Amino acid sequence: MKLKRRNFLLSSGALLSASLSAEFLLSLSGSKKAALASGAPEQKILVLVQLSGGNDGLNSVVPYSNPAYLKLRPSIGIKPEQVLKINDKVGLNPHLAAFETLFKENKLSIIQGVGYPNPNRSHFRSIEIWQTAEPKKIKETGWLGRYIDLCRGGRKQDANVFPAINVDPILPKTLSAEHVVVPSISELDRFTFKTASEADRKFQLEAFQSIYEKYPLERPYVEELRRIGLDTTKASDRFAKLAAQSKSVHKYPNSKFGKQLQFIATLINGGVDCPVYNLSLSGFDTHTNEQNPHGKLLQTLSEGIGAFMQDLAQSNMDQNVLIMTFSEFGRRVAENGGRGTDHGTAAPVFLIGSGLKGGLVGEHPSLTDLDDGDLKHQIDFRCVYASILDRWFGADSQEVLGDKFDKLDLFKKT
Amino acid sequence: MARTSSFEPYLVDHLLRRAGFGCSLEEQRYFRKQGFDASLDELLNPEEVKNDKLEELLETTSFDFTDLGDLKRWWLYRMMFTRRPLEEKLCLFWHGHFATSNAGKVNNPYLMYQQNQRLRELGMGRFENLLLAVSKDPAMIIWLDNKDNRKGKPNENYAREIMELFTLGIGNYSENDIKEAARAFTGWTAPNGFYFNKKQHDFGEKSFLSEKGKFDGTDIVRILAARKETASFLARKLIKFFCMDKPEDAFVERVQNAYLKNSEQNIKAMLKEIFSSNEFKSEKSYHAKVKSPAEFVVGTMKALQVTKLDADLPSVMARMGQNLFEPPSVKGWDGGMSWIATDTLMERFNFAHRISMQKFDTKEGYINPEVLASQFSAASMSDMVDYFLSRLVDKDLPHGARRKLVEYALMGKDGAKLSGVPDPKTLDMKIRGLIHLIMTLPSYQLA
Repeated sequence: MKLKRRNFLLSSGALLSASLSAEFLLSLSGSKKAALASGAPEQKILVLVQLSGGNDGLNSVVPYSNPAYLKLRPSIGIKPEQVLKINDKVGLNPHLAAFETLFKENKLSIIQGVGYPNPNRSHFRSIEIWQTAEPKKIKETGWLGRYIDLCRGGRKQDANVFPAINVDPILPKTLSAEHVVVPSISELDRFTFKTASEADRKFQLEAFQSIYEKYPLERPYVEELRRIGLDTTKASDRFAKLAAQSKSVHKYPNSKFGKQLQFIATLINGGVDCPVYNLSLSGFDTHTNEQNPHGKLLQTLSEGIGAFMQDLAQSNMDQNVLIMTFSEFGRRVAENGGRGTDHGTAAPVFLIGSGLKGGLVGEHPSLTDLDDGDLKHQIDFRCVYASILDRWFGADSQEVLGDKFDKLDLFKKT
Repeated sequence: MARTSSFEPYLVDHLLRRAGFGCSLEEQRYFRKQGFDASLDELLNPEEVKNDKLEELLETTSFDFTDLGDLKRWWLYRMMFTRRPLEEKLCLFWHGHFATSNAGKVNNPYLMYQQNQRLRELGMGRFENLLLAVSKDPAMIIWLDNKDNRKGKPNENYAREIMELFTLGIGNYSENDIKEAARAFTGWTAPNGFYFNKKQHDFGEKSFLSEKGKFDGTDIVRILAARKETASFLARKLIKFFCMDKPEDAFVERVQNAYLKNSEQNIKAMLKEIFSSNEFKSEKSYHAKVKSPAEFVVGTMKALQVTKLDADLPSVMARMGQNLFEPPSVKGWDGGMSWIATDTLMERFNFAHRISMQKFDTKEGYINPEVLASQFSAASMSDMVDYFLSRLVDKDLPHGARRKLVEYALMGKDGAKLSGVPDPKTLDMKIRGLIHLIMTLPSYQLA
C-alpha cells in the first residue's frame, strides 16, 4: 500500500503520548492481548463483501451434472470438465480456484439458493432489501447499522473503538444506523492530516494538538467537535503507523478490491477494535457476453479473499474473522440472446473463515421447478443474518431483524 | 430589544452565514454599511436585486445540464457568485426538504436541473404553488414512483411521503388517508414532462382528512397546504435550518402564524419572522449550528477570496457528507452533528489544508497571502492573527486558543521567535499555516 510517511503526529511522539489514556496504550498492543489481559472474550469480526450488479449464482456454484443446466445455457454454461467439482452434483467456477482450496480446508461454507419471498428484480430495490433486511417496506436503517446501534447504546465513540469501517467511497444502507455514524475510509492517504512545509509542520501540529486539548468555548457542539477532532487525528496517526509497519507479503490481486482487503487486514492484524468492515466488488450486471468478465470478477474475489485469509492466519486472527459475500440477486436460469443473463432471484452466499464448519449448506435449487423462469429460494437471507448475529456476534437477532428466523448450523464449537 | 451582546459587531456576518453562504470582503463591507435591517430587507426581496453578473458568468461557462458533474458545479457557481444569497440558500433548503436524488431511479440530470429551477423560482412564494409544482415535477414523479400509481393498482409512495415528509409530519394522518390520497394522484405521470393520464386516474369519490369529494392531486395539495400541522411542520424545519436546532414552541408558533396569516401560506413572511426575531439575534442561535458542507466550502472560498472553483469541489463536499442532487434518502440531510464523523471531519481538515496551500504559477483566483495581508495594516504577527480570526470566526474562540495561534505565528523555521513582520517567504508560509489552523478550530465548524 502506498503510504506517505509524513503522517500526522508521527514526528511528535512525545506530544502524542502525553494525551493518551492508559487504556489506549494497552490496546495499541493489539486487541487480542488487551482482551486477554482484561478477561473479555475476543472480538468477533465480520467482513461484508457486496457483489454489486447481481452475481450469476449458477455460473459460480455450477450444477454441472444436471442436464437442464447446459440445455438452458448452451453458450455460457460451464462444461463439466472445467468445473472444480465439490461433489457429484455441483462444482465451483474454474476461476474460483482459491475458494476450492479454502473449501478443502473447511474454511468455506456455501449456502445454496439464498433469497426471499416475492423477489424484486430492480437492482436499486433488491440491494436495499438485502441491506435493510426488510423486503416489505422501505427502511432507513441497515441490518448491521441496527446491530451497531444495539451494541453501542450510549457508549461514546473514540479513536480506538470504531463502530464499523466502510472501506467503500459511499456508505451503503447496510451500515446506516440511527445513533452511530459509520466512517468511510476508502483511502489511507485521504485519512491523513496533511500539513504544509516540512519546516513548519512540527509547529503546526503542536498548535493543533494543544488547541484541541482544551477548548473552553460555551457553544453547542463544541465539546463534541473537540473530542471527535482529537479522535480523528489519533486514529489517522494510528492507521498510518499500522500501514507503515505492515509486512504483508501475501499476493493480493492488483485491483481496488485487493487493496481494500489488504487495508482491512492491516487494521485487523494491527488490533484495531472494530467489529464490522464493509467493501464491495462491482461489475456483476452481466447482461451480454458474460462468461469472460464474470470469470475475471470471480477470480479477483477468490484470490483476494484467499490472500486475505493467509494474511490473517499469519497473525492468528483468522479464527476471529468471518467473511460474507452477497449480491442483490442471481440471474435467470436460461441465458438470454446476448450470451448473458438477466436479473433473476436466488443465489449462493459464500461464508469464509476458520471458525466455520465449512461445506455445502442446504440443497441446490431445482432447475426445472421454476417460478416464471427463476430459481425458487431455499433459504431466506435473514436466516443467514440471524445465524451470524446470534452465533457469531452473540447478539439478539430478533431485536435486529424484528422477527425470528431459523438459524443455520455454521460454526465450529469453541 | 434583543440581547446582541458580545457578537454585535458580527450581527450582519451572522445573518449572511445563515441567510446565505457567508460573505466575501466586498459583500461584508456592502452589507455592514447597510446594517442588519436593510440587509435583511434586500435578502428577502431577491427579485429586486440584479443578478446579471452571475447569469453572464454561467452563460460563458456553458454547462451541460445532462451531465451530473456539470450540474453540481453549476449550483456551486450560483452559491458562490449570486447577489441573492437567500434565494440560493432557500433553494438548498427545499432540495433537502423535497429530497430527490438523481442516483437510482431518476438518473436524468436534466430533470434534476428543472426541479432545482422550480424550487428556486417558487421557493419564497405561496407554499401551495410550490407543493403543486413539486407534485407535478417529473423527477419527483419518478423518484417517488407516482408514475406507477394507477387506478386500481395504486402505488402509495408519493401519497405517504407528501404527508410524512413534505407537509403534516408523522402522526397527523391515517393509513386510510394515504390510500385515498394515492387514489387522487393516480394518473399523474411524466413520460416526457408532466402528463395527466385520464385512463389511469381514479375519478371516484375520496374521503381525505375528514373531507369528501372527487379529489385529484390538486385538491390533496390544496387541503394539505392549508393545514395547521403543515404550518407547524414547516415552521420548525425552517427554524432548524436557518436559526437554531432546538427552538422553543412559542417561537415555532410565531413562525407558523406568519404562514397561516390571511391564509397566504407565505414562505417569505416566515423567513422574515425568523430572521428578525430576538431568537435569531441572541446567543441561542449565534454560532449554534454546525456548518453544512455547502456552508463550509462556499463560505471558505468567499472569505478567502478564492474565485476559482476546482472541478472536484462537489466530490469534496460529497465526502464531507453532502452530495448535491444525491441526498442520502427521501428524508434529506439531517444536519447538526450528523455532519461530523472521523472521516468527514478529516475531509474538512484537509480541505482547509488544500485551500490554504494552493500554489500555482498563476495566483489569479486562488489564495494569495500577500494580497490578503495587504488588505489591512498589520504592525505585528499578532495583529495578523486577530485579523484572520475576525474574518473567519468572528474572534469567537477561547483566549487560550488565540494565544496558541499567536505563538504559532511567531515561531520561526528554526524555533526562534520572529519579531515584527517577517520576510515575504516566511510571511507567506505563516499566513497559509495560520489559515489552515483557524479552519480546523471547532469554532470554524459552527455557522
